[in-house]
Amino acid sequence: MHVAVTAVGPDRPGIVAAVSHVLYDVGGNIEDSRMAILGGHFAMVLIVALPDGADQKELERALAEPAGKLELITTVRPVDDSPALHAEGSPYVVSVYGADKPGIVWQISEALAAANVNISDLATHVVGDQEPVYVMILEVDLPPGADAEAIGMALKVIGEELGVDVAFNPMDAETL
Amino acid sequence: MAVRPVLRYPAAVLKAVALPIDPADAEQLCVDLVDTMRASPACVGLAGPQIGVSARAFCMDVTGHKKANSCNGLVVLIDPVIKARAGNDVSREGCMSLPDITGNVRRATEVTVRGLTPDGSAREITADAFEARALQHEIDHLDGLLFLDRVSSLTADLFPRKRYR
Repeated sequence: MHVAVTAVGPDRPGIVAAVSHVLYDVGGNIEDSRMAILGGHFAMVLIVALPDGADQKELERALAEPAGKLELITTVRPVDDSPALHAEGSPYVVSVYGADKPGIVWQISEALAAANVNISDLATHVVGDQEPVYVMILEVDLPPGADAEAIGMALKVIGEELGVDVAFNPMDAETL
Repeated sequence: MAVRPVLRYPAAVLKAVALPIDPADAEQLCVDLVDTMRASPACVGLAGPQIGVSARAFCMDVTGHKKANSCNGLVVLIDPVIKARAGNDVSREGCMSLPDITGNVRRATEVTVRGLTPDGSAREITADAFEARALQHEIDHLDGLLFLDRVSSLTADLFPRKRYR
């Protein structure tokens, strides 16, 4: 069985060690995971394979101790064992940047959803103190046969409406 | 003509330092490398270990590639050595032996490589931009190094890894 484990708390050394130790003790195996400092908080999302017989409740109990010590908010919930969808489309990178304002993530992601474009990775960041700049980078998969030019244009139009810059480029990972 | 299967990690040969090539096998290996590269869509280079042969030889051809600047056409080298390198930049690479993942790798932007052609004569080439990157990637394969051994950042280099306090 697989569970999704999340933990968020004030950043400090030892969070990953404490959480992964608990997972190890219950026989869990961390498969896909992402962890990062976000606004001074350390956030982790992990897909964990649990051995037969282990259960969600047991893991929740085991996480309570490090969570209390490290001020972490943790969750555990079962997820389907179905394998990840394999991207068949074309990978693109979308960069959106400009003055911060509400609605950037929503409007850009809605345009992508309308074109059946799947977001595979998204990160946002506010940089600079005097004049903060909002930066969002997305990796997306265009479905087979998608009109990349039209999607790029639609994103540009939204960028103009929001007053932010938008770049839309094929992800040029080169297979060597 | 022999198109051979391209091995994927964790095949042990990919992580081993490749052995000196047996001159008797050199010609056939080089033909197989080129045939396999040509048969693989979007493949611009292939090294001996990738087709299961622990031997210091690779082929490369960046002809027509949009990111290429220098282009030496088809390059097939035995015992290649990087004699000079200059500059560096970061670009995202993938590898047929590590499908489905890519990573940002810092590499020299100009290299000079010396080696032997399949018929045994010396060849020296200079390359820049994409061709230089491809050369370094292929020569790494001969030393048991995959791009994951050289990854320089998790995603785009845009987000500083700053700490907030």
